[in-house]
Amino acid sequence: MITRFITDVTTRFNPFSVRARPARLFLSFLPPTARSSGMNITTQLLPRTSTEPSTLYIKFKDGKEMNLDCETMGIKSIVEEVDRHSRMLQKEADLAEA
Amino acid sequence: MPQRLRCAVPRGLSPAVSNTSRTTSRSAVLLLPPTPRAASTTRQYATATVAKISSFSLPVDYVPPTKPPTARPSDTRKSQLLRTYTSLLRSTPLILIFQHNNLTAVEWAAVRRELRIALGNVSSAGTDTTELVSRAQLQVIRTRIFDVALKIVEFHDPSKVAPTTVSALTGEKVQVVYNHDLSKAAFQAIKTATQGDKPLPEESAYAQISPLLAGPLAIFTLPAVSPAHLAAALSVLCPSPPTFPPPSRKKFPGYYDAVAQSGLQKLMLIGGRIEDKVFDLEGVKWVGGIEGGLDGLRAQLVHMLQSAGLGLTSTLEGASKSLWLTMESRRSVLEEEQNGGKTADKEESS
Repeated sequence: MITRFITDVTTRFNPFSVRARPARLFLSFLPPTARSSGMNITTQLLPRTSTEPSTLYIKFKDGKEMNLDCETMGIKSIVEEVDRHSRMLQKEADLAEA
Repeated sequence: MPQRLRCAVPRGLSPAVSNTSRTTSRSAVLLLPPTPRAASTTRQYATATVAKISSFSLPVDYVPPTKPPTARPSDTRKSQLLRTYTSLLRSTPLILIFQHNNLTAVEWAAVRRELRIALGNVSSAGTDTTELVSRAQLQVIRTRIFDVALKIVEFHDPSKVAPTTVSALTGEKVQVVYNHDLSKAAFQAIKTATQGDKPLPEESAYAQISPLLAGPLAIFTLPAVSPAHLAAALSVLCPSPPTFPPPSRKKFPGYYDAVAQSGLQKLMLIGGRIEDKVFDLEGVKWVGGIEGGLDGLRAQLVHMLQSAGLGLTSTLEGASKSLWLTMESRRSVLEEEQNGGKTADKEESS
């Protein structure tokens, strides 16, 4: 997963719900240096009884915001979705460099 | 050099091979002077001895006592890890489950160091504090194997496994129970419990904890339920200011160095298993907030029972009291009416 262009990650989930898995796995995909390289990661854990849907909010360097719905998407489709935009940014960055 | 006869009979098999002669080496037999018995009708040559040994065989269903049959290969690392986890789950009353998101080795070291310092500073009434602290540990687990271990602990009851009949070395049949964690019985038990689309019963601990078991996990284990130590661990690993404040910056500067902080930011407390019950974050904090440990809880219970007793007596009294009051008021009303009637009669007659 390309994480270079992500500036904000905000998740909110109830770990006791099965649908929290994509959000949790997404957090585990972020590199060890994510916070030190300026990414804001906020996690809010909901209590066990809550039935609120788990949410994942991602903001990119170019200002694009993504609200990913963990209830219907698996981790694979989330990564795909994020990478689709990241690749575009990567292309722009490469062109600017060259 | 005389050819050595290869005698691959382990020491434990001596009862089975006791009928063979003690001289197993061909050269030894050849060197022996012919005994009178040998010189007579039946000469016993070494070849006969060899034939006897090669015809020696173990019973078909013989199972070595040191190597009971298992459902999975027992000598792999995974199997031994599974056994470690089941024994951990059976013996440890307090387990906190964390998700760790890509901590580096130095960050782990820093987190463990701070945890150890914080636990060492706990002063609780118990005498075995030092031992408890030395056995508390934060370890990364293999999630899937831990999941299987949880299933085995929950669904496999070793006392209910039927004995199997196998042969002993001497050939007689003996009843042996194979109920260890890698046994076929355990494997079958967890398979039947979690088979198919049938949902697990809501009240089973495994059904409650299984959504947690995804992604990279680490567990913090304490060998006893000690709220004081739990509170200390929580204030380091998952500080929440009013009840579990983080260690002070002056006293514990190590807690605030960049490595430790970045490590702690990546650790996320998602739940706990305390005394075979599953708790979420709030539940764990509640257990950590119990003042005075188990004794404190007992004192609370005694107090509650006492006050409940008081309330009960007053409630029971209250019903009869109110009945008496109603009857009394009704009587006074009736009396008044009677008196009123009399006065009315008197007025009419007058």
